[in-house]
Amino acid sequence: MKNLLQSELRKLIYLRANWLLLLWSGLFAGLGTVAPIMVLNSETRGMGMGFSGTNTPEGINAVFANAAGGYLFALIMGILIMTNEYRHGTAVGTFLVTPKRSTVLLAKLIAASFAGLIVQVFSFIFAVTSGFIALNFFEPHAPVPMELLWKVFRASVISGLVLGIVGVGLGALVKNQIAAVTGAVIWTLIVEGLVVAFVESIGKYLPAGAITGLVDVDFGDNDFNFSIENYLTPGPATLVLLGYAALFSIIAMRTTLRRDLD
Amino acid sequence: MPTRTIEFQNLSKQYKDVLAVSDFSASALSGRVTGFLGPNGAGKSTALRCLLGLVSPTNGSAFINGAPYSALHDPIQHVGAVLDSRGFHPGLTALQNLKVMASASGIDFARINEVLKVVDLEQATNKRTKGFSLGMKQRLSLAIAMLGDPEILVLDEPANGLDPIGIVWLREFVQKLASEGRTILVSSHQLAEMQNTVDDVLIINKGVLVAQGTIKEICNGKSLEEAFLDLTLRRSA
Repeated sequence: MKNLLQSELRKLIYLRANWLLLLWSGLFAGLGTVAPIMVLNSETRGMGMGFSGTNTPEGINAVFANAAGGYLFALIMGILIMTNEYRHGTAVGTFLVTPKRSTVLLAKLIAASFAGLIVQVFSFIFAVTSGFIALNFFEPHAPVPMELLWKVFRASVISGLVLGIVGVGLGALVKNQIAAVTGAVIWTLIVEGLVVAFVESIGKYLPAGAITGLVDVDFGDNDFNFSIENYLTPGPATLVLLGYAALFSIIAMRTTLRRDLD
Repeated sequence: MPTRTIEFQNLSKQYKDVLAVSDFSASALSGRVTGFLGPNGAGKSTALRCLLGLVSPTNGSAFINGAPYSALHDPIQHVGAVLDSRGFHPGLTALQNLKVMASASGIDFARINEVLKVVDLEQATNKRTKGFSLGMKQRLSLAIAMLGDPEILVLDEPANGLDPIGIVWLREFVQKLASEGRTILVSSHQLAEMQNTVDDVLIINKGVLVAQGTIKEICNGKSLEEAFLDLTLRRSA
């Protein structure tokens, strides 16, 4: 297992696409904190959505909660770890070295979880730093409490660990890299976002809803009645995310163990 | 004394409506180059993949040194395989691909330089493999197969993409390995070249073994190409 993990980490480090993905995750999460600062301080005050400005604690919460928003890239990292094997035919070599596929899968799940963690920690740091820089242009603003940053960091870490695993499961199920990544992007950015925002009774159990629950901060009054009260508390939200990790680990195992490599 | 290191026992593989391999029993001996011949779609690749545990047989079994591939400890230190010219990531250099494989099986990195030298690919060590010619990819596949210094080599169309010099090099390469007592099982369509390379022949057609023996027995005074066409066309007719 140690050898396999080293091999998986080498793949992660050697591939330039992974470093680009990491950079994109930072830019995406950074945009997630900078854009609301601009919008909340614009003439339209949140584009008419009624969110509080950055001169209030709730406005600051709404801005920095987005620092956990790079989880899509943790998911994509997991997908790539699995689908690269099929896309480039390296699965043959991988399974020739280690015919026990469950061991290979376990190494991939651990590597993807680690990669997801790195993505989320990096994007959190990038987003928070970007947010602080942007806030300097809109003085006065409410203070940014350490407790808020801790909550968002916690959500980033847990979501990174889990979504890397989910990505491996998704990649094992779909196999086609373009289809898997496109599906993940559409789901995360469009479908899940809409369900989480507008159908909270279902959305709170989806990964994005559970991450919102993990962040656990008050967004104040807004025209959508978007309230953290409607989401799971951090404990159950963590359990839901772990449930997704378990479900997709099982999917990865079952599909990969059974599949012929033609 | 040559020993049976590779054995197929009543191997069958059914894909939905297609019977790719049917009740296939054959063997390959140590210290000899065994040519595995057959038309396109005859079942060669499927049989080799069953041997290497990549495809599950519907019936029967395949063994390496008396055990299924999946039961081998550190398998790439017993068996090296070239199944196609892929098998490595195009975004990585030759060296990085070899390091990935070596680290997965706990092989010392010093071995990497040795295999790169063996396949004459030292000048391309730090080149990304997406820029490799087909011949260079075949050589890298061979380098990966040789990483574990295995006593058995399974090569599926290893001459594809090689230029005439490369083909001569490959012939001498496999014959030298066999002379060291290793088992070489090599599938190919290049019958004229195989006639110069192999000691034994297995011929498969439509998933069924149609001939097995030494090249002298199979050819029986004819060229390998003539013998192959006789055996495969006669069976088809």
